[in-house]
Amino acid sequence: MKDVVLEKVRRALRGRPAIDHPGPMPDDAGARAGKGTDSPTEALADLVEAFRLRFQANGGEVVRVGVSEVPAWLEGFSCAFASCAVGRLVPPRLTPPIPEAEPEVAHLGVSLARCAVAGSGTVILDARDGRRAQLLPRTHLVWVRATEVVGTLGEGLHRLRGGAPSALGLHSGPSKSADIGQVLVTGVHGPGRVLVAIVDDESDPSP
Amino acid sequence: MAGGSLEYGRKSRDLLEGQPEVRESVTGAALSFDGRRSAAYAEVDVEAWRRWAEGVKSHLLSELDRHLERAEANLLRNGAVVHWAETDGDARRILAELADRYGSRLVVKGKSMLSEELGLNGVLEDRGVRVFETDLGEYILQLLEEPPSHIVGPAIHRSLRDVQRLFHELHGTPLHATPEALAEAARAVLREVFLEADMGISGGNFLVAETGTLALIENEGNIRLTTSLPPVHVAFVGIEKLLPRWDDLAGFLQLTSRAATGQPLGSYVSLIHGPRRPDEVDGPEAVHVVLVDNGRSAVLADPEAWEVLRCVRCGACANACPVYRQTGGHPYGHVYSGPIGAVLTPGLVGLEQTHPLPFASTLCGACAEVCPVRIPIPRLLLMWRRRAVAGGLTDRTTARALGMYATLAERPGLFRAATRLAGVALPLARRLPLLRGWGVGRALPRPQGRSRWSREGAE
Repeated sequence: MKDVVLEKVRRALRGRPAIDHPGPMPDDAGARAGKGTDSPTEALADLVEAFRLRFQANGGEVVRVGVSEVPAWLEGFSCAFASCAVGRLVPPRLTPPIPEAEPEVAHLGVSLARCAVAGSGTVILDARDGRRAQLLPRTHLVWVRATEVVGTLGEGLHRLRGGAPSALGLHSGPSKSADIGQVLVTGVHGPGRVLVAIVDDESDPSP
Repeated sequence: MAGGSLEYGRKSRDLLEGQPEVRESVTGAALSFDGRRSAAYAEVDVEAWRRWAEGVKSHLLSELDRHLERAEANLLRNGAVVHWAETDGDARRILAELADRYGSRLVVKGKSMLSEELGLNGVLEDRGVRVFETDLGEYILQLLEEPPSHIVGPAIHRSLRDVQRLFHELHGTPLHATPEALAEAARAVLREVFLEADMGISGGNFLVAETGTLALIENEGNIRLTTSLPPVHVAFVGIEKLLPRWDDLAGFLQLTSRAATGQPLGSYVSLIHGPRRPDEVDGPEAVHVVLVDNGRSAVLADPEAWEVLRCVRCGACANACPVYRQTGGHPYGHVYSGPIGAVLTPGLVGLEQTHPLPFASTLCGACAEVCPVRIPIPRLLLMWRRRAVAGGLTDRTTARALGMYATLAERPGLFRAATRLAGVALPLARRLPLLRGWGVGRALPRPQGRSRWSREGAE
């Protein structure tokens, strides 16, 4: 059947002029977040702030946690949850001090994102982290390193081209639907609450 | 279902008279979607994006065979299995074989217009396989045993009260349950199903030829679950849904999301290369991608109609259309409704079965203004109309009456004489089939005998 279909396509195109690919998308300045600046530190702060605004507008939550503040913050945050399912890519120091459980029953899912996109308010998750922990628990905590926050989706995807995982998940906020009488509800079927924790880790080598 | 398009006129009338609440629901939803799309377009240089997207898709289609072969090669390299379906019958047979091979008993489905077009659910149900639609709107329709009426919001013709009553009967929720409570009930039911399902079926928004990547956009997360939890994932993708390059993805994911729902990006995007890798804890063990023709190559061969194949199924045209919003999609009698349905369906199914559809339009052009890939829908509507008339498919009386009018309009003397008669003739003409529908709800003009210009004096 492959040959039949391809032959039909070739015959359909016979005599038609080729049309060139137009090249890269026009500068997605409209979808770019952050203002222009020469200082790398300022630029980063800009991007993180832009991500925060966009992700919050999408219905998500964002915190920025200094590397030394992580243990205290993590303890404070996770004490509200009885159990967590932790992704494979999450290092021990970013793992909540509460009992672990399977994603099917855990109250909190914890992931480490590959990167975050300020322009669209998106975190890009890797299948190697574990898909179920990213989708099944009602609350999802996503860690992302501040240095992995980029301006546009194009940049984010470009970094990840030719990657090894079987799948990438682009999450831009909590699960939502307006299928019931056009009223917005969250949490059907993915997590109804997503919190992105941006961690500064200048001094920390990758785990 | 294809024959149903011939009944467009009667079905629309019946719907408007018998179920006026549908018009209200659909109009509300369409205006809401269109408003958000408009705001999302205004945030970016949308004209540049649209031209770029048009260019990418036109390039893709002009070398479709080459890109299809690349897509297959890369999917195979990723560990996926690739099938080719020339017809809907082939697609159904492939699914039946897979269901048998894997011994599937419980299947979850993400929303896919192509799966409706191919009639996939029937194949599984005939084998005693239980199938659950997992998109909340599609799930509601499945319980109601109704087809979708909109590409993006399949159940927009149904109100909150409809869902309250339905869930009260089937799930035991209170009659005045809030949307949140209803959603929670659906989540609970479908969560059990997700965890037990042995096969997940999806469509595909895009398939990147360069990398063998399947892209799926959604807001609920049901597609991520459908493509991640069951041990087998089967994706059905129309051959026109390819993108040439990985770098094309960002632009199309964002443009499609803005056009469909006014979001910078859908809440979830799945980018799938193949089955789970050895170092992964979950994901399907087998991923099958079925490349489907089912009339698309015939449309590609058409020197004018081929442009409809750029369609990314965003639904923006339907949201903008003043005709579609009166009835929603059901009267169109086919899976694809609204403006794109009116120009795509005749190409896929044939004009003989669908000729009323290109006439379901005022030619206002709103659709062409919003289409993210700049499909010239009004031009194509006129093209199909010309072909319908030339093919003798349209009503002869109308054609003759319009021909008579044209004759009069070209002869000023005759025209003047006719207007003097019109005072007498029009009340009789009301009874003719041509004017009868037009006359309902309208007062016909009363010609004055002499032209207004000659009475008042031209200035």
